[in-house]
Amino acid sequence: MKYEGLLERINWLIRLRWIAVTGVIITVLVVQKIARLSLPFFPLYLIPALIGLYNFLFFLYVRHIGKKQAPDFETKANIIANFQIALDLFSLTALIHFSGGIENPFIFYFIFHMIIASILLSRKESFLQATFATCLFILMVGLEYFNILGHYCLKGFVVNDLYINKIYMLGTSFVFITTLYLAVYMASSISIRLKDREKSLREANLLLEEKDRIKSEYVLRVTHDIKEHISAIQSCIEPVAEGMLGELNPRQKDLIHRAGKRTNKLIFFIKALLDITRIKLSKDIDMKEFSIVRTIENTIALIEPRAKAKGIFVDCRIESTIGLIKGAQVYIEETIANLLINSVKYTPASGKIEIAAMDRGDSVLIRITDTGIGIPRDEIMNIFDEFYRARNAKEIEKDGSGLGLSMAKQVVERHHGRIWVDSEEGKGSVFSIMLPKK
Amino acid sequence: MARILIIDDDPDVVEAMRVILESKNHKVISAKSGTEGLKKVKLEKPELILLDVMMETMDKGFDVAREIKNDEDTKNIPILMLTAIKDKIGLDFRKEAGDETWLPVNDYVEKPLKPQELLEKVERLLKIK
Repeated sequence: MKYEGLLERINWLIRLRWIAVTGVIITVLVVQKIARLSLPFFPLYLIPALIGLYNFLFFLYVRHIGKKQAPDFETKANIIANFQIALDLFSLTALIHFSGGIENPFIFYFIFHMIIASILLSRKESFLQATFATCLFILMVGLEYFNILGHYCLKGFVVNDLYINKIYMLGTSFVFITTLYLAVYMASSISIRLKDREKSLREANLLLEEKDRIKSEYVLRVTHDIKEHISAIQSCIEPVAEGMLGELNPRQKDLIHRAGKRTNKLIFFIKALLDITRIKLSKDIDMKEFSIVRTIENTIALIEPRAKAKGIFVDCRIESTIGLIKGAQVYIEETIANLLINSVKYTPASGKIEIAAMDRGDSVLIRITDTGIGIPRDEIMNIFDEFYRARNAKEIEKDGSGLGLSMAKQVVERHHGRIWVDSEEGKGSVFSIMLPKK
Repeated sequence: MARILIIDDDPDVVEAMRVILESKNHKVISAKSGTEGLKKVKLEKPELILLDVMMETMDKGFDVAREIKNDEDTKNIPILMLTAIKDKIGLDFRKEAGDETWLPVNDYVEKPLKPQELLEKVERLLKIK
């Protein structure tokens, strides 16, 4: 997380610099062609070109160390950030020197560099950069003032020889330097506060994750215990219900069958709860290459008898180019099977279900379309939540676990994929799963 | 009619199995721990062993199975493993079930028991012998 944040900010700086290079070139063009000031244009074009060059080199280097995920990345990135900002300050000073020195109002663009430094660097480093900028500035102004370095006047823009006006020079330098330090002070104060906030949010998030894990472990233990007992109860009921201890009279049979049905439902629910809790708690799941096409065919074979019994037509469109994908085959198969079982369950007789698998290059899109009861518009948001069941689903099946779709979501997200649904109540639903191949 | 040994630490499940098996006139012996089970295997020479996975001691059930299969006297007795597979071992079990070096049992049934399924598997294993 921290690693990515740092990389992101350095890349942000590199992107900003491209904008700056473009801005400088356009400004120089405007000055040359429209304002028609006479300035040494060769260095004024050369400097942005050099900035572009070193920006490109930084871009390559950052990509290189970013890919390797070097262990000392943080230190390296910090050195690079400091070095880049120092180079930027030097380039800006050079640009200013060739375009009027202290007379050039663009000197206040140093503030932007100070703000960037305050965001990227520590407070101490930012003040050091401000000091470096001050030194560069004083050096430039001083050398021009004492005529050691040539002065390029912004003729037509300011009165002649403003740069050797002592009061102007000292006054502007004072305002300029204090502005730099104040900018660093303010920007770094804001930045520090933001970083603190970010840190406490991250800590709060970690704490929540930990609490969620404890909750899951608790659920796992409790469900485990319950399952043991309920399973024993069911094992005892079955032989009695099947008359292995002698024929039951109709009243006895009826009650024992009711009991058996209820324990079965409870077992089904507990299994679903155990599955989802287990996948939540597992750190990594075993990923292997497998044929998604064959997996889909398995699931179709599984639901076809049920569909046929209800007079539902099952259509299948699989693109042959998909090939192998990497993932936990058993989980994926269960997920697709669950979605198809739902479709059969919630599609009225003589309806239609279509399962399609499409090759999307790096990923595969699996789509299950049915002409079922659909999902009420105001409930679509919730159907992937644990234990949530839509109103019209409850009418068809009173005691579903409400865990099937949340399990599907867990599985798909563990594969870095995405699952979503489009649905219209009374017309049908389309469930889509996008899975990366690798 | 066969002599069947049940090794399971849950007395209620043992009773349920006893009812199911006795309905086919099998003679049922039971043991409630791995150690007791191993003793009875030697002593009673059953024709079939129903072995619970007994997970509170992790793969104790598998250890018992391995020991039975490593003993010249008992290695030919078929073992039917009783397990709540999906729940306890996770999905990997299914994939490796065919690998006999890894899993020294002949077949398995899932709990809760379905009497007909249990009886079918029992008959099949008794025939192998």
